[in-house]
Amino acid sequence: MAILAQTTNFVARTQATLEKAHRYQEKYNIFVTIDDEGAIQKAQELEQKAQAGAKLGQLAGVIYAAKDNFLCPGSDTTASAKILTDFKSPVTSTVIEKLNAEDAILIGKTNLDAFAHGSSTENSYFGPTKNSKDLERVAGGSSGGSAVAVALEIVDFALGTDTGGSIRQPASFNGVYGLKPTYGANSRYGVVAMASSTDCIGFFTQTAQDLDLLMQITSGQDPKDLTTLPDFYRHDDGFNDPIKRIGIIKEFDNDAVDPEIRQAMAQEIETLKNQGHEIIELDMPTLKYALATYYIIVPAEIASNLARHDGIRYGFRSADSEDLMSLYQNTRNEGFMSENKRRIMIGNYVLSSGYYDAYYLKAAKARTMIIEEYNQAFKQCDFILTPVSPNPAFKLGEKVNDPVAMYLEDVMSVPLNLAGLPGLTVPVGKTTAGLDLGLQFIGPRRSDAKLINFVANIKEKN
Amino acid sequence: MSEKTNYIPTIGIECHVQLKTQTKLFSEVDNDARGKEANTCISPVDYALPGMLPRLNEQGIKLSIRAGLALNAKINLYSRFDRKHYFYPDLPKGYQITQMYHPIIGEGYIELPSGKTVRIEHAHLEEDAGKSSHEAGYSLIDLNRAGTPLVEIVSMPDMHSAEEAREYVKELWRVMTYADVTHGDLYNGNMRFDVNISVAEAGSDTLGTRTEIKNLNSFRSVERAVEYEVQRQIKLLNKGETITQETRGWNDATGETTSQRSKEVAADYRYMPEPDLPPIQLTEETVDQEQQTMRPMPGWYRTELGKILGKDIIEVLLDYPPLVSKLAELKDDTAIKKIANLFSSVLLAEENASLLNDELPSVTQLSNLVEMNTNSELSSTGMKEVFLKFFDPEMHYKDTRTIAKELGVIQENNLGELEKIVDAVLTKPETQKAQEDYKNGQEKVLGFLVGQVMKESRGKANPSTVSEILKQKLQ
Amino acid sequence: MEVNQDTITHLAHLSNFALSDTESQSLKTDLQNIIRYISELDQLDTGNVEPTYQVFEMENVWRPDEIKPQDATPDELLALTAAVENHQIKVPKVL
Repeated sequence: MAILAQTTNFVARTQATLEKAHRYQEKYNIFVTIDDEGAIQKAQELEQKAQAGAKLGQLAGVIYAAKDNFLCPGSDTTASAKILTDFKSPVTSTVIEKLNAEDAILIGKTNLDAFAHGSSTENSYFGPTKNSKDLERVAGGSSGGSAVAVALEIVDFALGTDTGGSIRQPASFNGVYGLKPTYGANSRYGVVAMASSTDCIGFFTQTAQDLDLLMQITSGQDPKDLTTLPDFYRHDDGFNDPIKRIGIIKEFDNDAVDPEIRQAMAQEIETLKNQGHEIIELDMPTLKYALATYYIIVPAEIASNLARHDGIRYGFRSADSEDLMSLYQNTRNEGFMSENKRRIMIGNYVLSSGYYDAYYLKAAKARTMIIEEYNQAFKQCDFILTPVSPNPAFKLGEKVNDPVAMYLEDVMSVPLNLAGLPGLTVPVGKTTAGLDLGLQFIGPRRSDAKLINFVANIKEKN
Repeated sequence: MSEKTNYIPTIGIECHVQLKTQTKLFSEVDNDARGKEANTCISPVDYALPGMLPRLNEQGIKLSIRAGLALNAKINLYSRFDRKHYFYPDLPKGYQITQMYHPIIGEGYIELPSGKTVRIEHAHLEEDAGKSSHEAGYSLIDLNRAGTPLVEIVSMPDMHSAEEAREYVKELWRVMTYADVTHGDLYNGNMRFDVNISVAEAGSDTLGTRTEIKNLNSFRSVERAVEYEVQRQIKLLNKGETITQETRGWNDATGETTSQRSKEVAADYRYMPEPDLPPIQLTEETVDQEQQTMRPMPGWYRTELGKILGKDIIEVLLDYPPLVSKLAELKDDTAIKKIANLFSSVLLAEENASLLNDELPSVTQLSNLVEMNTNSELSSTGMKEVFLKFFDPEMHYKDTRTIAKELGVIQENNLGELEKIVDAVLTKPETQKAQEDYKNGQEKVLGFLVGQVMKESRGKANPSTVSEILKQKLQ
Repeated sequence: MEVNQDTITHLAHLSNFALSDTESQSLKTDLQNIIRYISELDQLDTGNVEPTYQVFEMENVWRPDEIKPQDATPDELLALTAAVENHQIKVPKVL
């Protein structure tokens, strides 16, 4: 169901939503917080505003949830980590502020892998979120809660973050649209940082058109985030060109990919051809190094960004630490999940003296080569189509104790994060077992509006 | 090893200069926390809440360019920021934003008053940490200073004595205040010095093991710490012991450096390029614009004023940039000499310390003052009195002659008028005895008679003229 | 690269973790596997390629030097802190 701004019945609709949220929460563990009070209050304000004849925002009464790494007052912001429990932010993230200014109603904060470290939402201090189609399976991650909240139609849309696939993969696992915009499109201000050079703020929706509306509202330069791009989201030149050249990456068609996903790819290619689009085969040999590159650069930035969580100024502080060193060590040891610790330690490893050149600098150079490979590819095609992950939703517990197996989940989602490209997961059907399948379209930097429009058009025609 | 081995100390200095921006380097918060309550100049960025990102202050870049120009340094048109990681409660993010790989200021040098040149290796822009105060059993953290912009100036190891080290830090302080990049208030930690010291046998082509003394905040403590540390190292070497490479603390009360023993292995700061800040790409034009608004540096004044004034008085006045720049505006040598004397003997006298905060007299006021003194209209005492009134809030806007008139200190130089006064005094009964004594050869009574005339003239007479008239009349 | 107990101790020190023995053991295995995986990058010849740290073309993004109200007041910030004395953040003694 597409996002539709409401004109009346704000409170009733919000109440019904909250009831549904609580009901599903028991089964799926979607939310970290459901903010009944805040949501009802906002709905009442809207009702008064409407009665007074005041102009309502573009998202009046549209109900949404935010991943619990977006700062907002009213509820704790935990990033699903013990170390941030009891952290009540006095600050609101820019994206939430923009959505609220358009009169959207935030009903709660969704579950994630702690600090967004993971691909299954199992690394949460609050337990895993379950897949919307199969309670035995993972929701995907790290934005698992947001994906499931949209898939179960609890909310009209949900906010997520995507550092290496954390929107696109759970979208694919739950049959919804998931957009990771161009790096710098949406402000990162007030979003708990994972890896600053790849973190992107995006959305889960039920239609592609919704993404267009949301991007118009949230994107743009923010003086509080110096890496945001000056106004770039426009329906300009070539926006409606009907025929596109779609690139297919040869290297991603291999035996490690689930047969049903390969079949879904083949079908989608047929659909595209039938609609008159041209299919281009791409050779992208450097992409196989993207995952290793990613798991050097991203942990380095994680180790750095998570250094501020020290128990001194906010959040969890370990009790009874007699001296500063034990306060630090106990707080951080108790406050972080195992996966947080692995990434922090790997990050400190690749940055430490003697290893910097061999790992971090080497990865930064590989990143240049990966970007260049995409640049070459986009000389031959307009968009690239690939699977999001090598397999559909896997069983809870299946990979959580094998970090490398879990990292391999990201092999097809991380390359574009390194290059800052937009990627959009499109639901394309179901496996024979009834699990959701999605594929992703990838565009050049700043092509977000065209990418969304293209995806909306192929769906409409199909 | 003989006691007589001749050791040469080698000294390099890192200096942190707090920049005088209105706001911090990465948040729009008051950068001047002097006299303010702890933790009142802080923002969510300074508190390192999750999701907070640095917001670069343009003025931090401009002042860095000025600092670089003052160091005769190459300004690196391309620069960027890096993160330096370590845990300490006064470093909220767990890293300091600094410039490790691409600093904004490249190689430069400064010339000391002695003529010696100290080379600058580079200088970079970074943020200051907060302040920790250690109480019994716990510490208190004030983040008012966290995020204050700093330029860290790294010298080459070009100094070889405590005196040179002192001369260098003092000149650095002067140069930075002349460039107008810092308040230069050492008491409040506006400039802090880390000193690296080693000694090696004369003629040796390798340097000895060095120690670092951190956080010195006065010229004197730099000099004393170097003196002490050099002697300590020489003593150890003479005993056949080795120097441990370490950080040592300076105790101003005992005058000693002590090992800051720590079991820590060598710090590993894990520098990483800062992903939250876009790089800086300056143009030659931006640098030129700053260059054009730079006032001359101390070295220029030394050369220019050195043609007229003595070295000592120049060095005294150089501590007060507005005074030397005012002097340089005066046209003729006599004026410069006389005003320089007034500055150093009157304005810099302890009892007038408060006046230094006031606006200085105009060039016209000062030129007229010198002119009236040269014409004998003002005695040197009168000149001082008028000069002081230039700082009087009731008087400072008036021209020199008006002030002198109102003070009644213009000297009577008109001979006719003076003779009448002298005649009147000579007819007075109380002067008769003195006149007799003078005529009998007691020349020292002349002073008494001059005094009487001055009294009669209410101080306006020029005493030397009076003296001449009296001598003639009493012949 | 062999990950041994010294590596783990060093990295735990840099990361400020008080790891239990069991945790150290499992991390040793995990980190060894991860490092083996990321070391695959050795096979890529990066030659004289320039490194990339950021993926945008912007430079010189800065703000004017003007004091502005902030998104939270100093008192709101201090209210987040577990131990405060005299408007200062209180921490245990530095050993």
